[in-house]
Amino acid sequence: MRVGFIGLGVMGRPMAEHVLRAGHTLGVWARRPESTAPLVEQGATAYDTPAALAAASDVVITIITNSQDVEGVAFGEHGLAAGFTRGAVHVDMSTIAPDAARDFARRYAEAGIDWVDAPVSGGEQAAVAGTLAIMAGAREDVFARVRTLFEAMGKTIVRVGEPGAGQVAKACNQMVMVCALQACAEAMHLARAHKVDLAAVRTALMGGSAGSRVMEVMGERMVERDFSAGIQARLHHKDFGILLDEAVKIGAPLPIAAQTWQQLNALMAQGWGYDDTSSLLKVLEAASGSNA
Amino acid sequence: MNVGFIGLGLMGRPMALNLIRAGHDLRVWARRPEAMQPLLDAGAVAAISAADVASRVDVVITIVGDAPDVERVALGPDGIADGARPGLIHIDMSTISPEVTQSIAARLRERGVTMLDAPVSGGEPGAINAALTIMVGGEASAFECVKPLFEAMGKTISHIGGNGAGQVAKACNQIVTGVGVAAVAEALNFARKSGVDAGAVREVLMGGFAASRILDVHGGRMVKRDFQPGFKSWMHQKDMRIVLEEAHRLGLQLPTAAAAAQLYNAMVGSGLGEEDSVAMLKLFERMSGGEG
Repeated sequence: MRVGFIGLGVMGRPMAEHVLRAGHTLGVWARRPESTAPLVEQGATAYDTPAALAAASDVVITIITNSQDVEGVAFGEHGLAAGFTRGAVHVDMSTIAPDAARDFARRYAEAGIDWVDAPVSGGEQAAVAGTLAIMAGAREDVFARVRTLFEAMGKTIVRVGEPGAGQVAKACNQMVMVCALQACAEAMHLARAHKVDLAAVRTALMGGSAGSRVMEVMGERMVERDFSAGIQARLHHKDFGILLDEAVKIGAPLPIAAQTWQQLNALMAQGWGYDDTSSLLKVLEAASGSNA
Repeated sequence: MNVGFIGLGLMGRPMALNLIRAGHDLRVWARRPEAMQPLLDAGAVAAISAADVASRVDVVITIVGDAPDVERVALGPDGIADGARPGLIHIDMSTISPEVTQSIAARLRERGVTMLDAPVSGGEPGAINAALTIMVGGEASAFECVKPLFEAMGKTISHIGGNGAGQVAKACNQIVTGVGVAAVAEALNFARKSGVDAGAVREVLMGGFAASRILDVHGGRMVKRDFQPGFKSWMHQKDMRIVLEEAHRLGLQLPTAAAAAQLYNAMVGSGLGEEDSVAMLKLFERMSGGEG
């Protein structure tokens, strides 16, 4: 397949490499041309604009920061929409609002171009290992056409439903994960207040009903006090803004997510946005006057 | 004074009538012409657009739904800026975000219009009785110039600071009232579930440190089960969204407001959006297996 790729950051670069290794023809575009170099060295072709990339691709994958960025790359000047031929597919793997994803799908459909929202979970580790969880929103036939690309990048691949449904699943994913992280931080904070060994608590909990991926990975970072990223907390903060805004639109009460959002606000205020989200532990410590 | 008035809803209509009663010449415009009729009957003159209003007055007052409405009426086609004479003062009495207010004020300034933000508190009774609390942001000289207008509509009138400061004060007001309504509903539901008369509890609490306007007015309506708006709960939901969006932007922790905001989400989602915010009591009753 002729595949285009935009967004060669911490997540995007290893994902693009997996696509290339799976035997697809890879084209790339980046705002800063130097970030395409590692892929070009491995055989990818660089293009001058998203439109030029789209014209040379059957499928273009994007993984960038937010709804505005996706809109700019897709529908802005020299955007993908200007280059796509009928029947091409835009697979957006960024985390954006479900409403925005549905809107983009609608606008593309008018021009006969297909859309898949396919946000991922698993972080940098899983991107490198090719074991991401991929949650897709797309028409069934469109999903079938791009499935082999997902298989090159991920392990758990689920079509959740129509366009937008992938982003809904991702919102649920972020909510469960970060709320669990907050619970984990509170548990560690409690253990420390009792002057109990955190590593021992974590090991014990991992064997029981409180065991989880978050407890395993983020819990360890809390025990080791290693707060360097990881997953930059500012990205979770951004996701919670989207999540709680959607909750207002549909009148859905999310009491625990709302509390966690406020802890993330406090984290941002402390200037820890570029650290791992396990820094939520430090927010609790700051609030209770222990050394943060 | 020659005054323009746009936004003749539940709040705007009685406010405009009070201006006429105080001897001001009023020019009005509304998207739905029938909304103007009660004002025309009282002696106001109809205009054909916001620009038309602006071209014939010294001061334009707006009180409309949300930020996009204010933006459209101020800066959109045939908006206030299009018709403004040099030195026009635009007083926006809507409740919108401080950030958007500052942005609109800056763009109006470029076109020779001075903006004041002047959101109000006191609800429909306050509007009818000219007893509103008015919190004003913007240039002090412009405030002094239009103070007689505020005095015709309100009782407690404060200049808080520069552009957006009135909206910050209003956001603070909505935190205190939004959380307050939830606290009163919680307490009265607690009394009822404990088999105690909620009316008697409210009365005795009014003599102590828990006494407040909210306990008095909203608590009184909860006891009487009078859920007629008033201030509709979807409006309070909107205001809480503004508050929490600002908190997100500033990296500011508002845990109690966040919890209350979720209760307003639940109200809107469960069909109580058109009822007064005191219908919060019904939500608690439902969650505790009571009347609701």
